[in-house]
Amino acid sequence: MRYNEKELQALSRQPAEMAAELVVKRRLVKLVVNFLFYFRTDEAEPVGALLLEHCRITQEEPSGFSISFLEDPERKYHFECCSEEQCQEWMGALRRASYEFMRRSLIFYRNELQKMTGKDPLEQFGISGEARFQLSGLKA
Amino acid sequence: MGAMKLNERSVAHYALSDSPADHTGFLRTWGGAGTPPTPSGAGRRCWFVLKGNLLFAFENREGRAPLSLVVLEGCTVELAEAPVPEEFAFAIRFDAPGVRPHLLAADGPAAQEAWVKALSRASFGYMRLVVRELESQLRDARHSLDLHRRSSWKAIPSRPKAQATDHWSSGLENGHSLSTDCSSVGLVEEAGSRPAGRGLSEWELQSPASLLLGRGQSPVSPETSCFSTLHYWYGQEIMELRRSMAAEGPGEPARLRGTG
Repeated sequence: MRYNEKELQALSRQPAEMAAELVVKRRLVKLVVNFLFYFRTDEAEPVGALLLEHCRITQEEPSGFSISFLEDPERKYHFECCSEEQCQEWMGALRRASYEFMRRSLIFYRNELQKMTGKDPLEQFGISGEARFQLSGLKA
Repeated sequence: MGAMKLNERSVAHYALSDSPADHTGFLRTWGGAGTPPTPSGAGRRCWFVLKGNLLFAFENREGRAPLSLVVLEGCTVELAEAPVPEEFAFAIRFDAPGVRPHLLAADGPAAQEAWVKALSRASFGYMRLVVRELESQLRDARHSLDLHRRSSWKAIPSRPKAQATDHWSSGLENGHSLSTDCSSVGLVEEAGSRPAGRGLSEWELQSPASLLLGRGQSPVSPETSCFSTLHYWYGQEIMELRRSMAAEGPGEPARLRGTG
């Protein structure tokens, strides 16, 4: 599968939600939107990227976590943090980092606001009709 | 394909999954990084699927693997002049230096407009803006509800708020597991590909809201709550309000701050 690597590399240089040196192999890890980039220390271009959709973040004692993906749950990407605190911070951030998570949040808030106020909060954005924001879109 | 690694299998799996597509349709493409190569001039007709900030191209609707992916970050979308006098063309222009725009063409003006709109709103940043806006509106609405409740609290039996909170936090203590009585709203069972004995629910663990808005916590927080519990709780809240308002007789209805 081809992909726009240059643009992805440019994205890796954008302001990060979080960045730190994690991992046994001592990689710089940078979370930008729904991608986790990893770099060899001192290198400008990332070694690789992980798209964080349909992934599971699991705590790995004592202060690490792993990322695995829906289609291959046994395959884990391991990360070791400096502290339990750093670990929790990263796990939280990674779990919130997917577009799917935001989509569900949006639908939930929209529904709650609609119930509470009787008005559709998306009307002001002119996107209330879009298929991706419909509650029905959540169901199978 | 490039020097940089990407979890391509996971990405392809996501492309094919039942997660909602934000836009789909046939488009002609003239190549550029991340798109299929084309015979010169005519452009190649592919089936495009937009999911979030990811634009996938397939050979056709039945394609089992994406031909290409364009990550839609750091770009703008605008109407364009195609190389051949091509109608309904538009271009994805990237901020990254030295990158040519991706040219695409729809089959008609409506499709062209729809695609330009959809792609313009595809970025993660846009979505995040909308979510944060709704978050703050919900916080305000919740606050207004709180105020009304306090002013008429004698008419309402003490809310089982503490219980509800305990229910949520106990559901969260063991990290991933949802409480057993929670229905996982919006979770799609994927035939064949899920781990044996587990549904997609374990993968889509993050329900969006913590109801602890009143305590100033961000709803979009690692502390998640059971979707259906929140739904139920808010429903109960509103029913109680209505009952108390009815009991008090005609008068000023509760004024919740509008969203306008």
